[in-house]
Amino acid sequence: MVIELHQLTAALYLAASLTTFVGLALPSSPLGRAAIWLLAAAAIGHGLAFAQLHALVPPPPLTDLPLAVSLMAWLAVLFVLGLVLLRRRRLESLAGLVAALAFVGVFYASLSLRRTVEGGSEPVGGWPHLHVILASAGIALLGVAGLAGLLFLAEDRRLRAKRRLEWVRGLPSLEALDRVNLLALALGFPLLTFGVVAGMLWTEDMTGRLWAGGAHATWSALAWAIYLALAVARFGVGWRGREAAASAAAGFAFLLFAVIGVGIAA
Amino acid sequence: MRVVLAGMNHRTAPLEVRERFAVDDPEPWLAKLVAGEEIDEAVLLSTCNRVEVVAITRRPDAARHRLRSFFARELGRGEPLPERHATQSVLYEHTDTDAVRHLFRVASSIDSMVVGEPQILGQVKEAHRAAVGAGASGPVLSRLFASAFAAAKRVRSETRIAARPVSVARVAVDLARQIFETFEDKRALLVGAGEMIEAALEALRGAGLSGVSVANRTPAHADELARRFGASAHGLDELPGLLAGADVVLTCIAAERPPLGVVLFEEALRARRRRPIFAIDIGVPRNIDPEVNALDGVYLYDLDDLGGVAEANAEERRRETVRAEAIVQEEVERFDGWLSALQAVPTIRRLRARAEAVRQAELEKAAARLGLEGETRSGVEALTRAIVNKLLHAPVSRLRERAERDEGLAYLEAARVLFALDDPTAPGAEADLLDGSKGGGEEPGSSGGE
Repeated sequence: MVIELHQLTAALYLAASLTTFVGLALPSSPLGRAAIWLLAAAAIGHGLAFAQLHALVPPPPLTDLPLAVSLMAWLAVLFVLGLVLLRRRRLESLAGLVAALAFVGVFYASLSLRRTVEGGSEPVGGWPHLHVILASAGIALLGVAGLAGLLFLAEDRRLRAKRRLEWVRGLPSLEALDRVNLLALALGFPLLTFGVVAGMLWTEDMTGRLWAGGAHATWSALAWAIYLALAVARFGVGWRGREAAASAAAGFAFLLFAVIGVGIAA
Repeated sequence: MRVVLAGMNHRTAPLEVRERFAVDDPEPWLAKLVAGEEIDEAVLLSTCNRVEVVAITRRPDAARHRLRSFFARELGRGEPLPERHATQSVLYEHTDTDAVRHLFRVASSIDSMVVGEPQILGQVKEAHRAAVGAGASGPVLSRLFASAFAAAKRVRSETRIAARPVSVARVAVDLARQIFETFEDKRALLVGAGEMIEAALEALRGAGLSGVSVANRTPAHADELARRFGASAHGLDELPGLLAGADVVLTCIAAERPPLGVVLFEEALRARRRRPIFAIDIGVPRNIDPEVNALDGVYLYDLDDLGGVAEANAEERRRETVRAEAIVQEEVERFDGWLSALQAVPTIRRLRARAEAVRQAELEKAAARLGLEGETRSGVEALTRAIVNKLLHAPVSRLRERAERDEGLAYLEAARVLFALDDPTAPGAEADLLDGSKGGGEEPGSSGGE
């Protein structure tokens, strides 16, 4: 049932994403609103799937990479749903992109879920869970910043080239995308930082040292340092617009590689 | 009399070409045009999207040649055009009915870049006023333009072409929504104080912009506009400071070289911590250096760019355009009828002259033979004049009537043959000399035509 619920969630994310883009192509149809309801339904299903996992004895640990990826997807969806429902600033296309990525993440998690559920697992302590929850939340928000950056770059390019789109009214404004980028970085970077600190405390708990080295720790520290530089550029130097969008997109690509890519390779 | 029209518009010539031909004061150019033998009357229409000359001539081939040379050698400021935009490739020509139809479509805003926009009619009226002022518009052009205004008025009142006009200002507001999340905290800077700026001011105020500044070369004009719309008025010397505070910039002033360059925008971006600027340049020649569009944080649209965007929303107006075209066609036919009747005037004049000559000759003979004098002669003279007038009344009326229809030329031809009006030896043939005179003469309808 846990696996089926995850699969159903993945299907709902895919449906929400496809409905969003069809809705953008048909601006006068009610599909845009339907897509948001589908995304909300998927997020509720996703939450129920996590509740069911937690009810298992023993519950599978969030340190398992597929589960952590699924958690990131869920948190990103909750953040973007909050933005759409609270701000109502034509952010549906961003929600559609997040839904597409959430589908990939949850589908990937559901493929290895049987092994995780049936294989049983050793219980883990509080630091590992805190590390995964905080870091996942940070990565999820920085992911939304990266997607907002990508959308900004595409829109900026189109506006400069004076290309017209029939469905352009459905796309968010550059200013709205820049603000989402700013907000996601402002919330995501501290969460990532707390996640890194929790990871170091977990390492100290296990090895007696704050820094144990290894590929995951090294690449993650490098990604954190890059985001520190981005935060300084954004909040200190005053980067905005194209350069802020490009750096958010590039930063997220590096973060994905450092955390998930290196994790899969390991 | 023939109607000849030559010119270029947004479809045939890009902005970089049109701006070289743009004319601020048409009067000296019109004086040059009508000084020659080729053109009798002329109006020069120069707007942001078109430069056209409408001419009345008796020698259409010579007039076309003169207009080609006028565009190629005189109006283009002597600067060579890029190879791909040679004058002959951007220039179009229309004659007679086609020229009339083109003018009516222009005045009715069917031919505009933004179909249904209201400014063009005022610009056409202004062009005709300038021609009257320069003494270049005579009775035929005056009638032609009066008909064009009537057509435009009918199109506006009988179709929905202007019910939802997508003006340049509205397109600009739509584009601004793609850049800005909200207008509540945004300021606009309008450079200029003409009709386009006024329309833009109205649209921007309607969109909810928090503050608007108007800068103009003549601050008094800016002041008048600003007072009406609750904006602030400034001179052009305040542009650097105003630009730093403006999120939306709209320019439309007459200037040989762009007064807003890259350096000015770079300084403004620095001052506003790189917050974006949406700049709309509807000036011809352009008011903002096109290189500004490459700056990070500035989105620059000129008239051609806005036209492309306006096309995207033009489907509804395209349907209305079909109805507008039908109205234009009716008005074109009405004007053609009037013009054809004008062609009937020389025939009628010859017919009357012939009859009068015959009457005079016969009266002289009879007077000599019968010794008519004094009251008797006056009585006979009145009698013969009454007979001639009564005999001619029906054919002259029919000629006037039929000349306005398709078969008009056949009737005129028949009259010329039946009464031998083209025979130079016939009595009254000297009236032919009057046909070639400029203007004057009998106006069709002056004795009951329309």
